Amino acid sequence: MSYRIGIDVGGTFTDFFVTHPGREPVVAKVLSTPSDPSIAVIQGLTEIAAGLEPSLTLDDFLGQVETIVHGTTVTTNATLTRNGAKSGLITTQGVRDALEMRRGIREEQYNNRYTNVKPLVPRYLRAGVAGRLDRNGAEVEPLSLDDVRAAIELFKREGVKAVSICFMNAFANPDHERAAAELVRAEMPGAYLTVSTDLLPSIRFYERVSTTALNSYVGPILDHYLNQLMGRLNEAGFGGVLLIMQSNGGVMSPDVARQKAALTLLSGPAGGPGAGLEYARAHDQTKCIVVDMGGTSFEAALVVDSPIMVNDGEIDRHRIALPMLGIHTIGAGGGSIGWIDEGGLLRMGPQSAGADPGPACYGKGGELPATTDANVVLGYLNPGYFAGGKMTLDVDLARKAIETHVAKPLGLSIEEAAAGMYRIACTNMAQGVREVSVKRGFDAREFPLVVAGGAGPIHSCLICDELEVPLQIVPRESSILCAVGMLMGDLKHDFVRTFVSPLAGVDWTALGAMVDAMVAEGDALLAEEGVAEADRSHAVKFDCRYLKQYHEVSFVVPREALEARDVDAISAAFHREHNRLYGYSLEDEDVPVEIINVRTQAVGRTQRPEFRREPFAGTDPAAAKKGERAVYIPERREFATVPVYDGHALRHGNLVTGPAMIEEVTTAVFVGANHDCVTDATGSFVMFRKDRADLAAHILKEGTR
Amino acid sequence: MTTADPILMSVFARTFKSITDEMSISVQKTTRSPILCEAKDFVTGLYDAEGNMLEQTENLPILAFSLAPVCRYIREFFDGDIHEGDVIFHNDVFSMGNQNNDVAVYRPVFHKGELVAWTAVKGHQADIGGAVPGGYNPNATEVWQEAIRIPPVKVVEKGKLRRDVWDLIFANIRLDIVQHDMRAQMGACTIGARRITELLDKYGLETFQVHKEALFEATRRMMEAEIATIPNGTYSGEGMVYFDGHHQGTEFTIRVDITVEDRRIKFDYSRTDAQTDGFVNGTFTSSASATILTLLQMVNPDMPHNEGMVQPVEIVIPEGTILNASYPKATTFGNHLCPPNADAIIRALAPVIPDRVTAGWNNLLCSLTTGVDPEKGDKYVDIGFMGLKGGSGAMRGTDGYDHIGMIDASGGVLDQDYEMFEQQTPHRLVRHEYIPDSAGAGQWRGGLGVVTEFVIGSENTQFVTFGDGDFEPAFGLFGGHDSILNIIKLTYPDGTEVVPRNKDLIMGVPRGTFYHQLAGGGGGYGDPKSRDRKLLAQEVRDGIITAQAARELYGYEA
Repeated sequence: MSYRIGIDVGGTFTDFFVTHPGREPVVAKVLSTPSDPSIAVIQGLTEIAAGLEPSLTLDDFLGQVETIVHGTTVTTNATLTRNGAKSGLITTQGVRDALEMRRGIREEQYNNRYTNVKPLVPRYLRAGVAGRLDRNGAEVEPLSLDDVRAAIELFKREGVKAVSICFMNAFANPDHERAAAELVRAEMPGAYLTVSTDLLPSIRFYERVSTTALNSYVGPILDHYLNQLMGRLNEAGFGGVLLIMQSNGGVMSPDVARQKAALTLLSGPAGGPGAGLEYARAHDQTKCIVVDMGGTSFEAALVVDSPIMVNDGEIDRHRIALPMLGIHTIGAGGGSIGWIDEGGLLRMGPQSAGADPGPACYGKGGELPATTDANVVLGYLNPGYFAGGKMTLDVDLARKAIETHVAKPLGLSIEEAAAGMYRIACTNMAQGVREVSVKRGFDAREFPLVVAGGAGPIHSCLICDELEVPLQIVPRESSILCAVGMLMGDLKHDFVRTFVSPLAGVDWTALGAMVDAMVAEGDALLAEEGVAEADRSHAVKFDCRYLKQYHEVSFVVPREALEARDVDAISAAFHREHNRLYGYSLEDEDVPVEIINVRTQAVGRTQRPEFRREPFAGTDPAAAKKGERAVYIPERREFATVPVYDGHALRHGNLVTGPAMIEEVTTAVFVGANHDCVTDATGSFVMFRKDRADLAAHILKEGTR
Repeated sequence: MTTADPILMSVFARTFKSITDEMSISVQKTTRSPILCEAKDFVTGLYDAEGNMLEQTENLPILAFSLAPVCRYIREFFDGDIHEGDVIFHNDVFSMGNQNNDVAVYRPVFHKGELVAWTAVKGHQADIGGAVPGGYNPNATEVWQEAIRIPPVKVVEKGKLRRDVWDLIFANIRLDIVQHDMRAQMGACTIGARRITELLDKYGLETFQVHKEALFEATRRMMEAEIATIPNGTYSGEGMVYFDGHHQGTEFTIRVDITVEDRRIKFDYSRTDAQTDGFVNGTFTSSASATILTLLQMVNPDMPHNEGMVQPVEIVIPEGTILNASYPKATTFGNHLCPPNADAIIRALAPVIPDRVTAGWNNLLCSLTTGVDPEKGDKYVDIGFMGLKGGSGAMRGTDGYDHIGMIDASGGVLDQDYEMFEQQTPHRLVRHEYIPDSAGAGQWRGGLGVVTEFVIGSENTQFVTFGDGDFEPAFGLFGGHDSILNIIKLTYPDGTEVVPRNKDLIMGVPRGTFYHQLAGGGGGYGDPKSRDRKLLAQEVRDGIITAQAARELYGYEA
């Protein structure tokens, strides 16, 4: 019982990361099976078992697996493809259109052909019922159970599979919602039910109703998928613990996931930031920016001690107000297509060639030039060693696509055009990094960049030059970083309650009782999940704002300050965070501060895999050199012949001088002309600007110890 | 001289946009007045040393082209007396401002001692002095009854705050919140200046200049190509304004003659009616902004918003007309002349570019309640955003957008959140829903309008209306039908019904009064009998088209 496995199901590949104390971790990738993703999971596990020394049957292997942490995009895909459950909504009379109105926003103001997104619940299944609470939660009009019954009858008639309940001001008093829920449970026992105040008992009606409806929309889908997966795993002899990845970077038990399915909606990339932090920690850094470049998208996230959280997510233009990692996604990946706009400017993406037909160089019929095509032309990708030689890239097709669609229209040579595509792709990604750093009040230059995704390290030197970031870390497992991150994730449960009050003069007894109740709830959940008391911890955050501001700032409330009821210390923490985010605070003006929401997070620490630590093997990389080839050097605007190293053969301390290429089966690294690269004890490639060798000195110094 | 590198040009374009976006986020998150942080009634922009627009992020299209003319005016006004660390305020409508409440911050950016750019933020302030809180004074006949005038003034000189000037301005404004919001605007300008400085440090001034010009050129070509698709000729249209706030029954006509000549387009408003005695008057800047935003909705929506885009466009609005009032007329209503201005342009161009125009949009009718929350003892001011948002006009191939609001905002102004509305006012929301059959019928229907009802929770409530759309509905095109009219109606606890005029000020509205508002839909496009039957079946099932309307207007038996 000692294997632990992270499994990340993506659109194209299902990634596996397998650890066992005292052994090298195993990395595996199989093609995903979108119609039933659990098939690929079993297939991959079978392959891994067979590949072990000595090889095992699936049954024997799974019998020794202690934990599987599983990330899934079934809920995300169901939402994006509009294949969720047929849902009904019971809400307060008079506001049943809130879900569809989305507060009346049209995101593209000059585009009269831009239409509203189709609502998750059609209007005829949105039932308004009589009954009203005021802003303090006091009953103005009793709930009409007859109206609720009528809604239930309608839902039954229409074959509704999932029901949402969300009433005005329920954040202040859940009684009406509970009464309606009781009736739904009794009358529709087979239906999936989400009650807004169970999921998100905080103020703001639109955000709550949208989040609630999303949960119902995907709940039955996740439920069905977990049944399939657990059935297959149990059948195959798995007797360990299964945990599910959530959008907040933590994990949860399948039972919690079934109830709060919306917590998985943006969980796809959620493993990355936590994993990135572990690689940065190997260098005594407690903060980093983690970027992941895939086939169609580029993700960036910021980590300070732990990944930064946000409370204002969105999926396919639907609001989802559950706490989640602040991961910024842009349409920039290996498949992003280059095109010329009407004004003659070169643009990259967001349209993507995807996996099929893919970039022109895949030779599968794609004719449009993608980032990958540019990388082939520029020499960054080795046409004969793509995916370790499993696939051959066609340079001529790449050149032809670039010539037709970019070079000719701009009057450039094919190489110049490819260099331009590479340049624009990097600029777009650098802007993506700015979104999570500069725009949130952090100076990107102070953070090491942890680079993931097969093609990420080809672009990262130029991205770093643009942002003036001096240090990069490319983990040896960079192509499956999210799967690694799944094994780094703690059990995490977020709670929120609305508590509107001025900070000065707050009712501490009521507030304290609320915090205690929230902490107790989280503690009980962790206990249920089998977390030992010593491994449980709880953090408290307030969402505060200056009186009459509309947007709150979420900040950590030090436990001592809370216990001491120290308003000054809490205010100071708020002013500091406001100042950091927005460049000023109103501390000196004595503007009153008010609390809107109280949040707690219960964390159950899980066991983390240990990194290997290789002995220092000297700085000379000559043994890993496998050849030379011409690659494009952006700084010099010309091709130059550079050494090519086998990444798998580079050892701790080996120092590669840029410009150079490093190749692995799943990853290619371009060490830019302004950078050098040293391999650290965990096998990560650490790239640093030539004028900042001090940043890598500790790695090289290990050799003198 | 360096020649422009097409790749670097893309890098600059992308970077300019990210700078104004970043400034915009900063303003939205830090201001306190709901009209800034919720309704996002502000614009952030980046200008070159001469005041040419490099990029902007407009949350409300009506503000989109209101910064550049002032930037040029400021440059000329100070005539070289601009220094590193200066910060300039401006709102004056008689020196290229667009609306008294829209106060702008301009910050010059220097590189190696040379003026190279400007960053600017213009935002609608919660109060701007004058006779009535909030600035909307339907009784005003002169600017001084509306606002304090702020011609270009340095509030910060070479990095030092001029406390005297600051106090002089804010001594004339009722709410402290305005000072804090102006500080937030200054903060955003600083953020923008920092980023443009980084860019110049990296690429140098010459490269910046060359690529900026190339970018203008590329965008100008894009706009010219769009104009070239409109047949040459002169096309005329009209839009109506009802009631000047003073004289019941008054009507005014906006007349535009649009001349297309190859790659240039001219909007001539010379035949437009004369200015009014009241505050229903435009300024050149607000009216020209309305013209440009309407034009932009007829071209490729991806066009960059820089100087090049406006170069092929000429706008003539004689002083003394309702769209360009002369000194010292009242003008606060001017931004809301955008809908009839857009109507005139759409009507003129519909026959020649029928595939690119929409039918008429719902016009704005807005209310503002002020009073004291009896439970909290606090004063509140609420602008009824959710009530004012009707539907947009349909176009060939696309239905109108439901509950989008007036064309000057085009979906940029959002509803208050219902629960926040009940926290911030003493009112209780009763109903906020789509109105069945409010969409103008058509092969493509107009966007739906909404009904908004709430119970007023404060005694002695002050109630202001401003807007239009209660005399003339959004119009249909090519066989599409008109929509329904706007209306606001108050029912007092004693049963008295009051229908305010579309520009009105009512004092002493009692607690318990029932507020009812309809915001109409947009106009339909094409013959309703040709509408897709499958869509109609869904719409009847969903209750947004009644079975009767389906039968009578669409010829569809549910």
